[in-house]
Amino acid sequence: MDLRYSDEDRHFRARAREWLSANVPSEPRPAGGAIASQFDRDWQKKLFEHGWAGVAWPKEYGGLGLSGLQQVIWYEELSRAHAPVMHVSTTYVALMHAGPTVMARGTEEQKAFHLPRILSGEALWCQGFSEPNAGSDLAALRTSGRVEGDHVVVNGAKMWTTDAKHADWMEMLIRTDPGSQRHKGLSWLAFDMKTPGIDIKPIRTMMLDEHINMVFFDEVRVPLSAVVGELNGGWSTAMATLSFERGLGFIADQLELFEKVGRAIELASELCGPDGRPAIEDAEIARRLAAIKAETMSIRAMTLADITETDRTGMPGPKGSMMKLKVTAAHKALTRLVSDIMGWGFFEFDGNRAANLWTHDFLWSWVFSIAGGTNEIQREITADRVLELPRSR
Amino acid sequence: MYLAPEGEELEIASAAADFIADALPIERLHEGAGPDMGADLRSALGEMGWFALALPEDAGGSGLSAVEHALFFREIGRQCGPVDVLAQALAANLAQDADVRSAIVSGENGVALLMPDGDAHRLIGPANAHHGLLASPGGASLHELANTNVEPRAALDPANSLAVIAGLGPAAQTLDGPLIWQLGQVGTAAILLGMAEAALDLIVEYAKVRETFGKPIGAWQAVRHTCADMAVSIEGARAQLWYAATALKEARGDAQAHLDAAKHLANEAAIFATDSTIQLHGGIGITDEHNAHLLMKHATLLTRLFGNRNELLARLLHAKLED
Repeated sequence: MDLRYSDEDRHFRARAREWLSANVPSEPRPAGGAIASQFDRDWQKKLFEHGWAGVAWPKEYGGLGLSGLQQVIWYEELSRAHAPVMHVSTTYVALMHAGPTVMARGTEEQKAFHLPRILSGEALWCQGFSEPNAGSDLAALRTSGRVEGDHVVVNGAKMWTTDAKHADWMEMLIRTDPGSQRHKGLSWLAFDMKTPGIDIKPIRTMMLDEHINMVFFDEVRVPLSAVVGELNGGWSTAMATLSFERGLGFIADQLELFEKVGRAIELASELCGPDGRPAIEDAEIARRLAAIKAETMSIRAMTLADITETDRTGMPGPKGSMMKLKVTAAHKALTRLVSDIMGWGFFEFDGNRAANLWTHDFLWSWVFSIAGGTNEIQREITADRVLELPRSR
Repeated sequence: MYLAPEGEELEIASAAADFIADALPIERLHEGAGPDMGADLRSALGEMGWFALALPEDAGGSGLSAVEHALFFREIGRQCGPVDVLAQALAANLAQDADVRSAIVSGENGVALLMPDGDAHRLIGPANAHHGLLASPGGASLHELANTNVEPRAALDPANSLAVIAGLGPAAQTLDGPLIWQLGQVGTAAILLGMAEAALDLIVEYAKVRETFGKPIGAWQAVRHTCADMAVSIEGARAQLWYAATALKEARGDAQAHLDAAKHLANEAAIFATDSTIQLHGGIGITDEHNAHLLMKHATLLTRLFGNRNELLARLLHAKLED
């Protein structure tokens, strides 16, 4: 075991810190809508132009080809510099799902077309996996793709699609073999969101925004060349997508949480409770803060342990689900605690994320423990793959 | 940067696991073995050098580090090993007098752990121990117990004897600085980690064979999900302990903060895992013949040593951390 960074690691951190301190946008990300996604595109474009896009993407696909550990360093420096946050960015699906999936399963043509557009921020992606009757039980999905000549004709509905209105592409999982059941007969498509015949209906959330949507498909024609991986072999492609999310998808949140605890401690020293004393002088609040600090320290240690193991083996282990359980629990505990520290200011919320980050973050804590595989599903995965308990289903 | 046992560390962990499972199996506590190590076992452990892993070679130790110390005590924890094993190892690192030290390293003279209790002290370990070891974050001392009145008490935790000392004599040896406390934190956190892992293993194995309503209980989500939560809590405690032990080995400026976090998370993981393993076993879990209660009682005691929840969290709150 050792905690030492190589000279290269240290040099990379210093360069990243210096560049970020001069280049992080001074204005906050707009709360939503087209101006928010434009902000995300601009930031990604800036990273791309200055050689910071795709830190751990292979060089052959336009990335920097650096180690997992250097990717951790990059995310730590992003958090420290208060750079635009990954998990609320419309670039998330493109960079964390679609890009790695196309790399692993796409044809040379698909790679050459999509990967540069993703890295440069030109192409934003959304996810079309869940449906009204298929979420945790994804294999129950029913949206159909009828193969007609060199096209697939899509009918059905997708659900919970974040930023569908602003995305250029959708990673879409549909049933292309009409008689098939469950995991068989599915296909993963790179779907062009400009295709005629789709209808997007926003869903208002408890954050008072409309970032998630239902997407309806009525006789929508997609070229067969949009299929990534095997036709009717889409479950395997989708599992590859989710393994990227479960391996590294929450790395930014893991490390950002570490920074957020520090900010919460500062806040508790500044804000006074109803008795006029700083909140941190309350023994219970102080202990809750320190306990969450310990949790985030262990999350960082788990991240470093996992990533350095993956750097050696080349394969992400089965621990991503455990990580998500730990991160979402700590995030929920922290935002609940800040609600106690902030007093009445916490309740002043009109849906503008930038105006009241902590209250938005508190509401987000439920999105976090449900989206990307609910915590209940993550416990199932942990029971199956880490503990090897008898299957429940 | 690497945060799991590797190379020679794995060899030491494996040798420790084999030796302790043979010399000090948890089953001993069902088979009439008394508490503590006992003189024979102490000599056997001493002969193998297990008390002196972190002691420099020129002082008669193995010249290894807090990392190997952690790997050894994790295996002690897996077998619900007594606290005097740790007291003995800490005393070996404390004693500056070569003769005193060598009698401790060899296991000839036994050491028990002292804890302040109001005006008196508690002794955890054999009442006839040669020395009592008292540690605090700022320093540690070794007290000869030969002419001290040691009053034995009943002990909830069958792994250790418990006694009261009303008038503790002056220290025979002292060592200023945090070293002994920090090795004590690594040791107790590692013992607690090993116990939490043993508690999870117990229920995972049982959940594969015990059936209710026609299927193994491990196929029911009420059982699976609690086991998953135990695994998550243990994973965090383990990663943090490896980080903290390595930080101590490398003399990093933030080692104390990482140790405090590691001990806190080990406390929490062991309490949660030993509680849950009893509950998920059902009726058999509360019987004397089962190992579950042994782990729970020992864990409850160990959470009081080298930093309880409030002490650890108070120190951690404003502690600065390095990259």
